Formats: sequence, structure tokens, C-alpha cells
Amino acid sequence: MVRRIITSLIFPMLALWCQAQTAVSGSVLDKGTNEPVAGASVIVKGTDGKIKKFATTDAQGKFAMAPASTTAGGRLEVNMMGYARQSLLLDSIEIPVIIFLEAGTIQLKEVAVKADRIRQQGDTITYNVGSFAQQQDRSIGDVLKRMPGIDVAKSGKIQYQGEDINKFYIEGSDLLGGKYGIATNGINHDDVGAVEVMENHQPMQVLSGISFSDKAAINLKLKNKAKATWTFHGDAAGGYAWQPEGAVWDAELFAIAVMPSFQNITTFRTNNTGENLSSSGTDFFADRRETGLTRYVSIDLPGVPSLSDKRTLFNRSFLVSTNSLWKFGSGEFKTNIDYSFNRVTADARNITTYFLDNGNRVVTENRSGTEHTHSLSGKFIYELNHKTAYINNTLRTNIDWDDVDLTTTGSIPSGQSARLPDYYLSNKFKMIKRFRGSHLVTFQSTNEWESLPQTLTLDMAGDNGTAISEHISDHAFYTHESAAYAFTLKGITVSLEAGIKGYLRSMDSDVSGLSDLSYMSDNFTNIVNTDYVTVYATPKLEYWVRRVNLTLNLPVSYAHYTFNKAIANRDEAYFSPSFSLNWKPNNRFSGALRSGIGRAPMNLNLIHPGLIMTNYRTLKAGTEEFYNSSSQNLTANVNYKHTRSGLFANGMVMQTWSHVPYTMAQQLYEDYVVYSYADARNDSKTFMAMGNIGKTLDFMRGSCNVNGSFNRNESHMLSESQTVNSVSRSWSIGGKINGSPARWLSFDYAIDFANSQLVMNSTRNSWLSQMTNELDLTIIPYRKWQLTVSGEHYRNELTEGNYKNMFMLDTKITYQLNRRIELAASLTNVLDTRSYNYTTYSQLSSYESQRQLRGRQLLFSITLRK
Amino acid sequence: MKQTLTLLLLCLVMIAASAQQKADILVSYDSTFPTKQGKETTFQMSLLASATEAKYFNDLSLWVDSLKSTPEGKAKYMEIFKKACMTVEPDGTVSFDLTKGPVKKTYTYVFTNIAQETTTYYGKFGEDLGYYTEPISEIRWEMVDDSTANILGYECMMAESDYHGRHWKAWFTPEIPMPFGPWKLHGLPGMILKAEANGGFTFVARGLERTDRAITPMYMQNDYAKVDRKKALSDAEHYVNNAEAIMNAQGQSVKIYQIDDSGNKVEVPKYDGLKHSIEPDYKMR
Repeated sequence: MVRRIITSLIFPMLALWCQAQTAVSGSVLDKGTNEPVAGASVIVKGTDGKIKKFATTDAQGKFAMAPASTTAGGRLEVNMMGYARQSLLLDSIEIPVIIFLEAGTIQLKEVAVKADRIRQQGDTITYNVGSFAQQQDRSIGDVLKRMPGIDVAKSGKIQYQGEDINKFYIEGSDLLGGKYGIATNGINHDDVGAVEVMENHQPMQVLSGISFSDKAAINLKLKNKAKATWTFHGDAAGGYAWQPEGAVWDAELFAIAVMPSFQNITTFRTNNTGENLSSSGTDFFADRRETGLTRYVSIDLPGVPSLSDKRTLFNRSFLVSTNSLWKFGSGEFKTNIDYSFNRVTADARNITTYFLDNGNRVVTENRSGTEHTHSLSGKFIYELNHKTAYINNTLRTNIDWDDVDLTTTGSIPSGQSARLPDYYLSNKFKMIKRFRGSHLVTFQSTNEWESLPQTLTLDMAGDNGTAISEHISDHAFYTHESAAYAFTLKGITVSLEAGIKGYLRSMDSDVSGLSDLSYMSDNFTNIVNTDYVTVYATPKLEYWVRRVNLTLNLPVSYAHYTFNKAIANRDEAYFSPSFSLNWKPNNRFSGALRSGIGRAPMNLNLIHPGLIMTNYRTLKAGTEEFYNSSSQNLTANVNYKHTRSGLFANGMVMQTWSHVPYTMAQQLYEDYVVYSYADARNDSKTFMAMGNIGKTLDFMRGSCNVNGSFNRNESHMLSESQTVNSVSRSWSIGGKINGSPARWLSFDYAIDFANSQLVMNSTRNSWLSQMTNELDLTIIPYRKWQLTVSGEHYRNELTEGNYKNMFMLDTKITYQLNRRIELAASLTNVLDTRSYNYTTYSQLSSYESQRQLRGRQLLFSITLRK
Repeated sequence: MKQTLTLLLLCLVMIAASAQQKADILVSYDSTFPTKQGKETTFQMSLLASATEAKYFNDLSLWVDSLKSTPEGKAKYMEIFKKACMTVEPDGTVSFDLTKGPVKKTYTYVFTNIAQETTTYYGKFGEDLGYYTEPISEIRWEMVDDSTANILGYECMMAESDYHGRHWKAWFTPEIPMPFGPWKLHGLPGMILKAEANGGFTFVARGLERTDRAITPMYMQNDYAKVDRKKALSDAEHYVNNAEAIMNAQGQSVKIYQIDDSGNKVEVPKYDGLKHSIEPDYKMR
């Protein structure tokens, strides 16, 4: 059509003389409907491409422009949203011109910054996810790390202003409990609109306004497109690694449904690429098990150098987790079922050379270990949470099978293997009822059972091939029933909780094949019961005045211990008062002071008359006495935030004192080390200070963070009239910055520096430092392509002035095929650094350590999204 | 009968369509201007634009006004407001901190309509709500060559114009062919992403995105009286500078002061349109 007009206009072109000073006018019509187009922009461009004149069409689609000084070679351009651009040679048109626009699209480069990045409304702080996410981010966990005020530890645990969060919600529902790592690692950040932090969050509504909480909770607000539907994504990757040589894989499936009365998250993950899945399987809110069992047998895999996990972890990991929540009425029912499998191997080679007058003596030790961990856990929760009543029943079961095999070859060969299953079952019931506004009654009943059998088998090739085996069986049952009453009057909440705890535990152990060790002891068999009954009462006082909350806890308890003649039975009384003060003068600042003194019984696992073997070199003797330890602590912290400018800061100082009336002593019997406990006054005090400042950097859609800490531990031990004083000091400082200074570039940079020193009886060891630098650069040369280059530099001080430097380089290319499919290729450890070796020297010996690292690895992956 | 019904339906559809035009894009601006205290203040403003219409507003104000426009919404707003501001201590004392609540901080709305060739400004002048309409041709831009800028990844060109007592420079992008911009600035062959005038008045786009939000008409239009712009501005200046006397003349007894950085009560500085108004032409001869 246009061409026809132009053709028909060739004639008037002869009249070019008039073009030099012509006013341009005409009208713009829709080609499909012949209707006038209002609001179209009409431009006269010179030969240099610059705009000389411009106009906008009116309601009739008409436009008119004053004469342009020159139009020779110039163009007339018409632009309109929803239409394809029209560009005509000025010389070729007749005035008034009629221009037809064809439907078409104009590409918009979207820069989504609509809302403030951080907003505050009352006690809720809202972070806009889109404004913190960078191109290379995948999960919401990647974005959480960039939000000032929020800290995600390497383990996956989330802190807000230096304190652990107490709840993790998705659309207001607590689906995952403490295993929120499944959500932070799985949910795509693109499905989350905002992250809300609720300060001073009291999860039990029945306690709101009555009991103070200094913890914060996190809530993920999903975008509408991710609500009321199932959302899936899956990754599959395969490739080749140079060390350990062979095929590598990494796969993930994630499904989430968030409906008004039903939620589900199901995930499946597996890899052997060195990615640690434990952050997806850890319950960060797990209470301490009151069954109190700990493993006697401990075989550790050789330690790995202090580099990031993905360099040192030789794994095969598998995890599947399914979590559901149903709401009915004001109650909800939840199930969390997880299974994980982990196989980790580690190797180490140490060579110690003793420089002797009659020639050098070389001792070689190669250690090679494999650990298998299976874990199956189920959690079934019913919860009713409203303003006048709270009911929660939680049934939990955990079954773990852990096997460790460690082989040592070289100068002193040995083989050890341990079978360490763990069976645990618990039920916790809690009911709180609020009546007449401010009176509360609480009932609680907790029952826990655990069995922790342990088998250790040693194959001492050196000791004429004897096989030693030890079997330990350890069971415990714990029950706790309590009732509490509380009422509030004029801002003072008084409560009294009273209850009874019962504990039954039996442990027996036996070692066979140790006949030639009778010079140490003849008792390698234990049959022990450590039982107790405790009655307790906890008066609690909470006082609110203006913006201050004062809490005083005064627990007193009386316990009767019976030990089945292993040691004498005991009766003990304990009193451990604590006090806390929280002050929040305004929305920006808050401070807290906490203090407590306490007295606690020793770990009952230390009571056993016979020796217990913990690994091929060490044995443990139990105590012959019952000990109590005491401690005092004092903590102060301050928080400041200014949400509009995106500034968050917190600081904390803590001082603790502890007094333990016994100490661990070690004795050498030939190749064996025997640990025992002896009377000794052991006083220690610890001072700790840390601070953290985070700030958004809006000019590049980024954020930065600086943190520092200082630690000093002094202990004074008096043992058999010998005094040992030791002081350890350490400090660290770190910084992080990320941003996107240009549309095609984003970066993450982190630096950490730590320094530590130990002084023993005024003998000073030198300060040893450790520095890590990490830089990730993501370049987007073209919309669908993305290139990430990351480098890590480590500088570890082995002995004074002797540094080990490591440099690691990774690359990744991503291609976005369409909205649903993404392809990527990554090459990690490009330089193929395969070992971490170092040698340290003393006057009489040298020590050479050799460790393996994950070598170069090539991985191709495909990601699908729904 | 059937025909009448159809016609009626058609009319209704047309009314609905004309009242609720869908926007194509949403641009967020930081609007900065000097205050009486000699500092500067920044508001976040939004521009919803379709091919032929645009609305410039503050998101919070829009939310508040949309709620307040219906009786149920108004009740809901009061409830939200109370919740946000009120702190009930367990001892029963109640304290209010109004700064915590969602309060309108700016009253400005600008509607630009290409078909009607008008710009309509709604705002607060002193204590009174008012509106006025200008023809869109009131700004006459001149292109300035060789002065380009890149804003949010868009190549922008510059144009200049004198407008109501200030000299404006505007950077617009032909890549978004819409003749709109922040506040009452418009009429360039592309979206205005940045504008500045002498005296410290600036608008800078912070982001833009595609949207299908409706360009809703002004809420509670009846509360606004038609005003003469220059007269309304000069009345507003008089009100601001004599608020104390005006209130006292109405039988109240008030003393207005401001608290400076060191906590002292000081006189409120005077408002001077030449310095503080974005349109000082009402004071010029």
C-alpha cells in the first residue's frame, strides 16, 4: 500500500525545488481499518539521524510541523506503540502525506523498579525480590543473600539482624518447619514477589500481647502466577570430571503448589559434583533431643583443606522430600517426609620425616575413608492456632544408618569400620487456652525414645592380624509432663510452670579381641543405667512498660539420680535464674540485654566403669564421680535499621564464665591413648564481639555488607598442683558487594580475612591468618546468552610467614532457548588444580600433607520450567 | 426493544471502555524538589501510559484514594490506618504514631489526553482541593543537538522549553514513541525519562515495565473545585505563610514552629514561590 502511494508520488518528486523549506503535514491511518491514529509520534530526521522537527498526531490522526531548514536526504519517521515503525524518504513524499501504519510490536527494555526496594509497615519489613535479583540467580535463596539485614550462612541457616529466625512461612503457612532450606534452594526467585520479615514475631497467636518474642520470622509472598496452581521446574545435567575421573551428574526436580487450603512442596535432588545437599535436609528449628545420647565411637574421615565444599567434597548424594499441609477450619495438618543418602569419600597422605643423626626416618600414612549416611524421617503435625486457643501435636520419627570405613596404609597400617544406626521416636503435645482476656493455661506432654547401637571393628594388620570388635547398645526414654498458668495485670504477666521429668537410660558395651591389653585395665565391659526423676517449677515474670519489656525467669528443680551402683546415687537441687530486657524506643532502633547464671549436671554419658574404645587409637574411661558445672553469661546487642535508605546494622557483645570441676586427662599406653576424667578446677571466660552493617546500593541495583568479629577465650586450669593458662584470640573481618553497574554486567565479590593466635603458659604461638577472595562476573552480551566467570583465591598461613596460595577458576555459559527451557554448559576448576599439598618444617622434622581436590569438570545441563 | 437494549449495552460498553483504558507501560520516577527548609525532598511517582492517555500519580496516594472512594473502602482504610499506627501496650495504654500509617504525602495527579488535547492537574492548594485544565500545546520544545544520555538503557535525546517560569531540559527516548512524561511535561516524540529545571527540580525514571493496569479516572472528582492556576498558587502561598494567623482567626489558638536538627524550636521558614514553586510564573510580572 505504502509502496503504491510512493510510486504514485514519483511524479511530484520532480518538483523537488519546493522541498528545501516546506512545512510537513499530513495524517496517519491504521492500515487495517483506515481509522485515524491519534498520539503517533512523527519525526523529521536529518541525514545525520538527528531529530530536526517533531509532532504528535491529534484525535483526527493529523499532524503539522513548521518548515524544516533542510530536508534533502532526510527521512520522515512515524512511531506508535502497537505498530511497526514507518520511515519514508522526505524527498519522496507529497505534502500533505498520508501514512498507513501496520500492526507490529516495539520492543521495550524493561527495568522493573516500581516499588521501593525495602518498605516498612509497622513491624513488617518488605523486600522487593525483583529489585535484588541478579541475572545469574536461580532460587530465592540466592536473592535472600543479597538483602541487607538478612544473612544466609553456608549451612543455609537464615539470620535477621544477627538473630536466627523463628519461623519460615510461605504465603503465611508454615509448611516446612525448620527444613526451610528445601524452599530457599528450590523456589524460583521469579515466582516470589516479596520477602517479608516480621519483627518480634510471636508464632502462637494466643500469646500475642502477653509474651514477648525478640525473634523475627520470614514470609515469602508469591506472585499471582505461582499461586493456586502447581509450579514445576527440573534440571538435568551430565558431564565428565577429570578427578575423580568419570561421569558426573546433577539433577533436580521441584514441584510446589500453594492453594488456599492445601500446600505441597516435593523435591528430588541428586548429584556427585560436590554440591552439599545438607542445607536442604537440615532442620534449623530442631529442639535438642532430651534423650541425650551421643556416640562413643567416632571415626572421622580425613580432614579437608579449608576451601569451599565444592572443591573438596567427593560425594554421591540423593535426597527426596515431600511436604504437605491441609487447612480445615482454623486447624491445619502437616506431613514432612524425607529420605536422603550420602556417600562421601576422603583421602589423605601425610609424610613425616624425622632428621636424626643416624639418617632420616620417614613415616608415611595414607588414610582413605568412606562414609555412607542414610536418613529417613517423618514428621506429622496437627496445629490449631487462634486467638484464644493453641493446640499442637507433633509426632516425629527418625531413622539413620551411618557407616564409616577408614583404611590406613603406610608405616602403621590399620582398618577400622563403624556401623552407627540411630532410631528415634517422639511425640510432643502442647495446649494453651486463653480465657477472660488475659488468663492462660498450658498443658504439655513430651515423650521421646532413642536407641543408638554402635559397632566398631578394627583390623590391625600390624598387630599380627588381630581383629578387635566392640559393640555398644544405648537406649533412652524421656518423658516430661507440665502445666502452667499465666495471667496479665496492668502490663505484668506472671506465670508459673510446674512439671515432672523422668529419664531411663541403659547402656552396655563389650570389646572382644583385646586380650593383650590387660596391662591397661581388665574392664572392657559396661552395664550402666543412668536414670533420674526431676520435679521443677518455673516462675516467670514479664513486665511491659512503654517500649521496654523485662523478663525474669526463676527455674528451680530437684532431681534424684540413680546409677545402678556404677557410682553413688545423688540428689541435687538446681536454680538457674535468667533476666532479659528489650528496648525498642522507635521503629529504627532496638536494644537488648540478657543475663543468666546457671548450674547444670554433667553429661551422664561420661558415667561408665569400664573402658570404651572410640577408635583404633583411643579409649575412654568414665568418671568415678558425679560433677556439676556452673556458668554465668551476659549479652548485649543493638540493632539499627533505616529501611528507606536500605541501611541495616547490628552489634553484639557477650561475656561468659564457666566453672567445671573436672578435666579430661590423657595417658599413653604404647600406641593407645586413654582419656579419663579427674578432679581439677577449670575456669574459663570467653569474650565475643561482632558487628554487621548492610546497605543497598540503588545506583547499581546491588547491596554491600561489612562484618567483623573478635573472640577471646581464657582458661585457667589447676590440675594436680600444676597450672595451665591458655589464651586464644581470633578476629575476622569480611565484606561483600554485588550489583549490576550496566545492563550487560553483574558481579558478586566477597573477601574474608581471619587471624588467630594461641598463648599457652605465656608461650606465644604466632598469629596465623587466612584470606579468601571470591569474584563472580556475569556478562549478558545478548539477551538470551549469559556468561559467568568466577574466580576464588585462598591464602592460608600454615606457619608464620609460610603461605599456601590457591587459585580456582570456573566458567559457565547459559542460553535461554525460551521462557521454559534453558541450556547451560559449565567448566569448573578450569586450571585443573588437583591437589592441596604443603610442607611445614620444625627444627627436627618436616611434615608433608597431601590432599586431593576435585579436578576439572565439564557439565551440560538443561532446565525446564512450568 | 431488542435494538434499544443492544444500543444501551453498546453505550455501556463504550462508557466502560472509555473510562477504563488499559495502560501499555508504567514508568516510575523520582521527583525531587527543594523544600522551604533549604533541603530537598524526593517522591516516588508513577506514570501509566497508553497510546493516547497518561496518568501521573503517587502509588500510595492512589491506593488511599481508591479505598476512600467507597464507604466500605473508607472503613477498611481507617482500620488499616489504625492497625498500623496504634500500639496497645499490655497495660492497656494506647499510643498513636501517625507517621507509621499509610498517609498521603502528595496530592498531585496529572491526566494527559491526546484525543481531548488537554492536560488536567488535580492537587491541593493550601487547604483546598482543586483542578485546572491546560491545552497540551502549552509547552513548545526545541531540540538540542549533540546532547544525548543513556537512561535505563534507552538512548535519549534532549529538548528544551520555557514553561510557566522555569527553563526545562528534557531527555526523551524515541524508542518508546509515546508523547508523555512526568508531571505536566509532554509533547516530545518519545517518553521523557529525565527532566530538570533551574532551581533544583528534577524527574528521573527509575524503572519501567510493561503493564495492563487500567488508567482509572480521578477518584472523588467531586471533591475538587475548578481553579485558576495562578490564583490558586498564589492563594496557596499566602495560606502556607499565614497558616498560624488564619487558624487563630478561626478561633483556634495555635503556634506553629518547627524543630531543627539540634532539637530547638525555630520559626518556620517562609515559602517563596520563586524558589520553591515548580511554576513560579504566578509571581512574575
